[in-house]
Amino acid sequence: MRLNKLTSLTVHTDRVWQSQPHPTLPLLATASSDCSVQIISLHTFTPIHSLDSGHQRSIRSIAWQPNTPHPVLATGSFDATCGIWRYYPTTGDLGEYDYSTALDGHESEIKSVAWSAGGTFLATCARDKNVWVWEELEEDNFETLAVLQEHTQDIKCVAWHAEEVLLASASYDDTIRLYKEDVDDWECCAVLEGHEGTVWYVQFEPREDAKRLVSCSDDLSVRVWVRVEKFDGDKARPMSILRGDPVREDWVLESVLPKAHERSIYAVSWSPRSGRIVTCGGDGKIVVYEETPKTTWKIIAELGNAHGFFEINHVTWSRRFDKDGAGPEEEIIISCGDDGVVNVWVLEE
Amino acid sequence: PIESTVPTYPLDPFTTSPSPLSSTSSDDATPDPIDAQEIYDLVANITDPEHPISLGELAVVNLSDITVHDAPHSPFSHVQLEFTPTVTHCHLATVIGLALVVRLRESLPARFRVDVRCKEGTHSTAEQLNKQLGDKERVVSAVENASLREALRKMMLSV
Repeated sequence: MRLNKLTSLTVHTDRVWQSQPHPTLPLLATASSDCSVQIISLHTFTPIHSLDSGHQRSIRSIAWQPNTPHPVLATGSFDATCGIWRYYPTTGDLGEYDYSTALDGHESEIKSVAWSAGGTFLATCARDKNVWVWEELEEDNFETLAVLQEHTQDIKCVAWHAEEVLLASASYDDTIRLYKEDVDDWECCAVLEGHEGTVWYVQFEPREDAKRLVSCSDDLSVRVWVRVEKFDGDKARPMSILRGDPVREDWVLESVLPKAHERSIYAVSWSPRSGRIVTCGGDGKIVVYEETPKTTWKIIAELGNAHGFFEINHVTWSRRFDKDGAGPEEEIIISCGDDGVVNVWVLEE
Repeated sequence: PIESTVPTYPLDPFTTSPSPLSSTSSDDATPDPIDAQEIYDLVANITDPEHPISLGELAVVNLSDITVHDAPHSPFSHVQLEFTPTVTHCHLATVIGLALVVRLRESLPARFRVDVRCKEGTHSTAEQLNKQLGDKERVVSAVENASLREALRKMMLSV
């Protein structure tokens, strides 16, 4: 298959770090080193709003809060704050986004922000080696539920499970850690070791009964990990093994995807529609993988110089909303790079 | 003339930097390959953060420790530069490494990927240092730091 460019958006004046489609609406938010977020219509691929008064340094990461009456966005910046932006509709025009709250707590650059599936919890991570979990008690009133200090280095990415209250973090210390709530505490329930370099990105399989997650790294590998279900029906098994650590989960490596990248792999995205995986990285390539049969992955499309000579910082799947699309099941791939450009791709025979 | 080549974000490869190597003197579609001597000339005059002596004079950078693969038709070209800190516990090795990364990324055309590392056995925390210098995000955020940016600017005054 081939990746064909649908359109190219020059909406930033500096490196674009990340783009995120809204979970339900035809909106795309992009985060850049130019200290702004742009909100782009996925119907028309034109910018609608520019959010440029909240941060003084690079905006590294953005996340749309699910299940809100109007769009709400979290931004994570190198200025060590996490911003909460709320959209207010106004009669007669496009409405506006207000910078409503700054969440302070991290001591250094925030690298990633993520909302839990229901929109209740917000996770943030930073170079200060901490993951913070916040809960929104009421509008703009956030409480810190946990400060997780498990990693020994800079943390690059946080991600939530689609249904369970299960959080993953990926780090410069080459590991992935998983956390869940145990009574009133948040605890580390698994450490995934195996990558031989910084783990840049992590995502759970995007389905409610997901038992897998995907990660990508400086070691040029893309790995799928799977949870080994606990064996609780076996009476013969000595109870002491389980009693000691009820929170503990066992995750093991399931597959290593075929090698395609020649430089750091910065992002990976797993499609909830097609089940395909897409990656991008410092070599300027976008690579698409398909699983046929289960646990066997093959490369179905590969495109070099997708942003000219520049590095590609992020890639994500999205539903297709523009008028030339075939319907809601059709998907697009959105990439962003050091050239300050956001590219939109379709995968075609 | 480094003053004019230090933009607000010195690491942005797409801000046009008036470097001798990215000059558009030729409208040839295939650029002339860049060699190790040209890379050396870009960095040799950067000064040590503590003394008014250049990295070339101090033998922190050496022509023989520069490897260039510049194939105009491949997806990207590559420079590897290994530097030698003056002493093995040099506390300014990170700043020197950053200056080298910044200078090369800023001066070279976008097709170049730049790897700056500490020569094997020349620094007590070489592995840690190399990982940091190889991390694009760490380098970008370090250079957004105003005091570090000022330190780098001073080192490059005579470039």
